[in-house]
Amino acid sequence: MTLEISIRDLHFSYPVLSGVEGPPLASDGEPIPVLKGIDLEVERGEFVSIMGPTGVGKTTLCLALNGIVPQSTGGTIRGEVVVAGLNTRQHPVPKLASQVGIVFQDPESQFFNMAVEDEVAFGPESLGLDPREIRERVDWALKAVGMNPHRHRSPFQLSGGEKQRVAIASILAMTPRILVLDEPTSGLDPIGKAEVFRVVRELKKREQMTIVMVEQESEKIAEFSDRVVILRDGKIALLDTPDRVFAQVELMHEIGLAVPQVSELAYLFNTRHNTSYTFTCLEDAYQALVSRITVYESRITVHESEVAYGR
Amino acid sequence: MAGEPCIVVQDLWYSYGGEVTALQGIDLEIEDGDYVAVIGQNGSGKTTLVKHFNGLLKPTRGRVLVRGLSDREGSPLLRDTADLTAGQLAQTVGYVFQNPDHQIFCATTRQELAFGPRNLDLPEAEVKRRVEEALARFDLEEVADKPPAVLGYGLRRKIGVAAVYAMRPRIFILDEPTTGLDWRSTMELMELIGEMHCHGHTIILVTHDMKLVAEFSQKSLVLRDGQVLVYDDTRNVFEHSEILRDTQIEPPQITALAKRMVPYGMPGDVLSVEEFYTAYCGLGER
Amino acid sequence: MSFSFDLYVQRRSWLHAVDPRVKLAFVFLGTVLMLAFKNLFIMLLSLAITHLIISSAGVPGHKVRWVWKTMLPINIMIPLLWVIFYPEGPTVLFQFWFLKVTALSFLRGIALALRLDAIAFICFTWLFTTDQTSLVRSLVKLGLPFEWGLVLAIGLRYIPTFYGLYTVVSEAQQARALDLTRGSFFTRVRSYLPILVAMLISALRTSEQLARAMESRALGLPGVQRTCLRDIRFRPADYAYTALLIALFSALLTLRFQFGLGTHPLYLF
Repeated sequence: MTLEISIRDLHFSYPVLSGVEGPPLASDGEPIPVLKGIDLEVERGEFVSIMGPTGVGKTTLCLALNGIVPQSTGGTIRGEVVVAGLNTRQHPVPKLASQVGIVFQDPESQFFNMAVEDEVAFGPESLGLDPREIRERVDWALKAVGMNPHRHRSPFQLSGGEKQRVAIASILAMTPRILVLDEPTSGLDPIGKAEVFRVVRELKKREQMTIVMVEQESEKIAEFSDRVVILRDGKIALLDTPDRVFAQVELMHEIGLAVPQVSELAYLFNTRHNTSYTFTCLEDAYQALVSRITVYESRITVHESEVAYGR
Repeated sequence: MAGEPCIVVQDLWYSYGGEVTALQGIDLEIEDGDYVAVIGQNGSGKTTLVKHFNGLLKPTRGRVLVRGLSDREGSPLLRDTADLTAGQLAQTVGYVFQNPDHQIFCATTRQELAFGPRNLDLPEAEVKRRVEEALARFDLEEVADKPPAVLGYGLRRKIGVAAVYAMRPRIFILDEPTTGLDWRSTMELMELIGEMHCHGHTIILVTHDMKLVAEFSQKSLVLRDGQVLVYDDTRNVFEHSEILRDTQIEPPQITALAKRMVPYGMPGDVLSVEEFYTAYCGLGER
Repeated sequence: MSFSFDLYVQRRSWLHAVDPRVKLAFVFLGTVLMLAFKNLFIMLLSLAITHLIISSAGVPGHKVRWVWKTMLPINIMIPLLWVIFYPEGPTVLFQFWFLKVTALSFLRGIALALRLDAIAFICFTWLFTTDQTSLVRSLVKLGLPFEWGLVLAIGLRYIPTFYGLYTVVSEAQQARALDLTRGSFFTRVRSYLPILVAMLISALRTSEQLARAMESRALGLPGVQRTCLRDIRFRPADYAYTALLIALFSALLTLRFQFGLGTHPLYLF
């Protein structure tokens, strides 16, 4: 399997802006690092999610993947980040951006043209592609996110979910090998969130695409991820499959993060009844809990014998 | 006074610019001390409705009455928002906007918290007292002399709420206050809001997060296309969650799980993990 | 709630199909002509022509009315000021104290106001029928560096967003009992400060995010020439229009400076 992302011992602090109140400083006047030693390897086709408390450095880590950190932000960096075979300190940001596409949180500041079609074409235009190829890519990207009927609409006519889908299409049109989504559904209403997750689900099916998603919705993370990264204090606190990560309810709560409600339920049963349930999705919980119940006429019995539902 | 209405909406219609009808004939009564969650998709009229409560919007047709602060002869009167400006109503109805950066402009947190009370023409000593109290209650003492604009998002969010809290309004409207917050910050904020509720404030929480609605609110108001779909105790609304599905809102995972197990005797109105556990364990005893 | 402030009217018409550079030339030449003439009949004629052109392009009536509404203060102020400060000519219409309203100065004032209206409508024939991308592309093809064109385009795109931002911030501050109506002029101006500062901070944040979004679309890829999905190209009709514009322009200018056409507000010669 090929390594698409390789992060080795990454340390990073934002620059101190003289005269302006900037990032917190340690007692010796040096800026406090945001990332304090990240090691991560992501293989091609993997879906890795990142969770962490607000301000822990999730966005900084995303920006480190296409070189904006440290090339555009400045600051002090140590360690190495290699994406799609390119070292992020040795190649210009636009070149890295063609391989690593990032969709950010705010739909409003990612739509800077006046029409959907122009917006999606912007990336390929920057890459200097032939207009015929640009048209093909724009068509394909718009269809992939379900925004083809809206190609002539302006940003003012679109909902948040629609704008985010256009943002995703704009990135897809550059055919990056790695897609990074930084809290893409944060400000959206339930319909918008559903639309974006539907697109993510579709994209996951494309085996060639490596996806990194930062999210707070633990239930969606459980649904999509091959592995989950939990960040705490600038370091990786947990790195494992979703069911193993979400089984550690106490640790997650200590870090300040939610787990899917069914995982909490499994934890309750496990601590109070000595079971060893692992629920990451509703279906798991349903199957396990129902299997302990028999309905005979109108009497319901819950079996005392444990059903260890492992994975 | 609990049990007495503090917001009364009578046949409220509202159109933006005379064209788009955002609200279509809403009738509603919110009582003093209620904790109401307002639920609905973007475009359902949630924000339009709550902006009528503090006078930012005036009805195109119909009336919105809000109980004032003035405690002259007897209990405070219900006053028509059409007669008052948003600034005047700010004394009674506090509105915390979704994006704290739309409010923050001061050089220090202290000044930021003092802005509202000063606008209410309170004596300086009282302003100071309220600022210190808000700083303590919201755990902002460490950043009291820092500029809010450079602090992290979680702190800016708390400052936004604290700034409205310092005005001691009877009614608190919070427009999606937990967007973008991690779980711990969300819980901290919700607990602070819960404390305010315990102290007698009426809470109106506009939110998309069904888990928070289930865990914290007493009543739920569901809007769709400018009309009230249902306004009932949260428990009842979640019991009939087809209503929510009707407006494409999913109940929390645990509620959905319980609903699937209703044929096995689970109740249909499970609002939390603990409730589910208790209900499941109690199944055999029927 | 989205606020749609779009000068561009999305249609397919003969005018929409005209190359934006030709329309830009029309704006430039037309403005020069309007500045050269002072006759109000010529102004009215040019207004009639632009209205005809605009309506043939399918621009709805309410947009035209919007322009007139916006120009109303100017249309009232200019004749008024002219009449007050530049009385001239023999025919006195009205005299009150030191105020002497003469026919000639009144006509000059009206001609001046109509001249501004004419220029405005000439500009709007261009703005109503040219979408943002084509507009910027035409400027870039005429020599403007791409980055400047991008700045212009983004500026246009964010005008309504910042207007919306003003509304939201204003509401947020009013919800903290900020009173915009109370007090002396200076108090009222100062009370806008919380709104402006909050807006500025929000705008700065948005622009930082915008910069990252643009970088993430490979803006400024070294060694690569940017291409264009929808390029603009001169058609035979565009050459014809340009020729026609130049011919008319020269003819009218000659009439003006050789033969004195339209120098007087009322009489053509």
